[in-house]
Amino acid sequence: MEYRKIKIDKLSNFINAIIAKNKKLLAPKQKKEKVFFAEIKSFDEIAKNYIQTAFSAKSAVFPKCEELFSYEKINGETVLKNPPPPENDTVVFGVRPCDGAAFDYLATFFLKENPDFHFKQRYDKTILIGITCESGDEFCFCTSVGISPSDTRGLDIMLTKLENEYYVEIITDKGSKLIQEFSEYFENAEKIDKTKYTANIPEYFNNKLVREKLSDAFAWEKWDESSLPCFGCGTCAFSCPTCTCFDIQDEANPYGGSRLRLWDTCAIGLFTKHASGHNPREKQSERWRNRVLHKFLYTDEQFGTLSCVGCGRCSRNCPASLSIIDQVKAIMEV
Amino acid sequence: MENMYLPYRMFIEKITEEAPLVRTYRLKFKNPQDEEKFSFKAGQFGEYSVFGEGESTFCIASSPTRKGYIECTFRVAGRVTKALANCEEGDEIGFRGPYGNTFPIDDWKGKNLLFIAGGIGLPPLRCVIWNCLDLRENFNDITILYGARSVQDLVYKHELEEWNNRSDVNLITTVDPGGETPDWKGKVGFVPTILKEASPKSENTIAAVCGPPIMIKLTLPVLFELGFNEENIFTTLENRMKCGIGKCGHCAVGPYYVCKDGPVITYKELQSLPQEY
Repeated sequence: MEYRKIKIDKLSNFINAIIAKNKKLLAPKQKKEKVFFAEIKSFDEIAKNYIQTAFSAKSAVFPKCEELFSYEKINGETVLKNPPPPENDTVVFGVRPCDGAAFDYLATFFLKENPDFHFKQRYDKTILIGITCESGDEFCFCTSVGISPSDTRGLDIMLTKLENEYYVEIITDKGSKLIQEFSEYFENAEKIDKTKYTANIPEYFNNKLVREKLSDAFAWEKWDESSLPCFGCGTCAFSCPTCTCFDIQDEANPYGGSRLRLWDTCAIGLFTKHASGHNPREKQSERWRNRVLHKFLYTDEQFGTLSCVGCGRCSRNCPASLSIIDQVKAIMEV
Repeated sequence: MENMYLPYRMFIEKITEEAPLVRTYRLKFKNPQDEEKFSFKAGQFGEYSVFGEGESTFCIASSPTRKGYIECTFRVAGRVTKALANCEEGDEIGFRGPYGNTFPIDDWKGKNLLFIAGGIGLPPLRCVIWNCLDLRENFNDITILYGARSVQDLVYKHELEEWNNRSDVNLITTVDPGGETPDWKGKVGFVPTILKEASPKSENTIAAVCGPPIMIKLTLPVLFELGFNEENIFTTLENRMKCGIGKCGHCAVGPYYVCKDGPVITYKELQSLPQEY
């Protein structure tokens, strides 16, 4: 890994220079009382003093709705067309380490087996600039799932705020290329210990024991009770940085149309309902169980990694105040 | 990298009305190069689509030994199947596939085969049945037990007749009590009862079962009574699916994806999954 530093007042010049080079820049932006990742045209638009964005930047590589292909009827023949690749790089600024780890999981999920064309087109052109967390809130639990608030996993560049400057870690080739392109803003630096500049996030449970403790959790008798407040709105899934499930739908016009994929969620009953009416996950508690076990058990079996990164969004955004921390703790205490 | 969601363009060569709301389509490739590179094995499935309406998941119901076309059999149930049913011979259809694992028929050489199907559960087995019949010398006795609610609900009526006339196939057809017609020559009774009555030998025999969940549930105890073990009973799972390639999440049963780890599964393997199918 290579290291640099950048003066605090130079950071805005760096970001504005990226925008001036016609790269798309996504960064946390205040929208009413919440902060969302949005395209910005100037450094001044970036939100300050927030713990976590309401949604992650997942949609940069896996949009809420995207075209799988388009088709057109020409002289009675159907002509199919791939969606065009993005023209310019997308730089995502201000990615939290938990979200960085989520990108790492998404890349494994989408590219390891049956590689996904649409994900790859976007992912290859996306550069992730992370930022070390200086503080967390009562929903943050990255340390319980094996991630630290200064983790570089999944990121291309990592910034850590020191007294008068940002410490810069260059993690990947993608990151290195970007720094080289804008090298005038950076100075050389030595490796430092980031601990002092990193938030303290309490560890609520031991991630190494999760798999073992949850291996028999399917038969746990308290799923009904523990999920009682859940009414299946799907907010947890839509704000989750690692949820990957989608629906496929067609959209037609008189001359052709598109086949689209749209975010979907196992929280709703229709997700698994057969055409016959039979539903393998009939009850809401069964859907909640699937969500919890998928994050903390099933993906560990599939990819050797938990797919919860401890960002806390599902609990922070849940209209029924269900806490994933309390849920996992409860199962582990059985 | 390939866009795996791009379907082959196919056209309907032939439509067969099988039963009320049940149709079989024979599909051929529009592009000869697609046909050349396409191959599949018994047990696999695909995503069939009408452009502008969406995709629907069915097994490939024809045998890989019959080249140049594929067949699917479906019952009208929702938006896409309704749109498919409105198609006519010559119309265009999208097809993605083949997806999923296969029946291990190479391992079945020298064995007796027992196929048990109920209602619309015959199409997934029809593929492997014809596959085995086209390689008839590889197998010992072949028994097919097929039941439906009523005589009119039996699919592939012409083929049932053909199998019935073959000396190297033992076909038993049955309809639920009350579903028979005056000229019905088959059995009357539920599949598990008829299976018990026929009591085929389990020694050196593979059983493949496909049908409504209740039929499978009641058939399994009879198979165990006959001496079949869990490794020699195969079924093919169905769950709601969208992508077919292990991405969309709909068909997941715990860490198992029906679309890529299945749909063909032995009863023994089924025991290790959460009951979410």
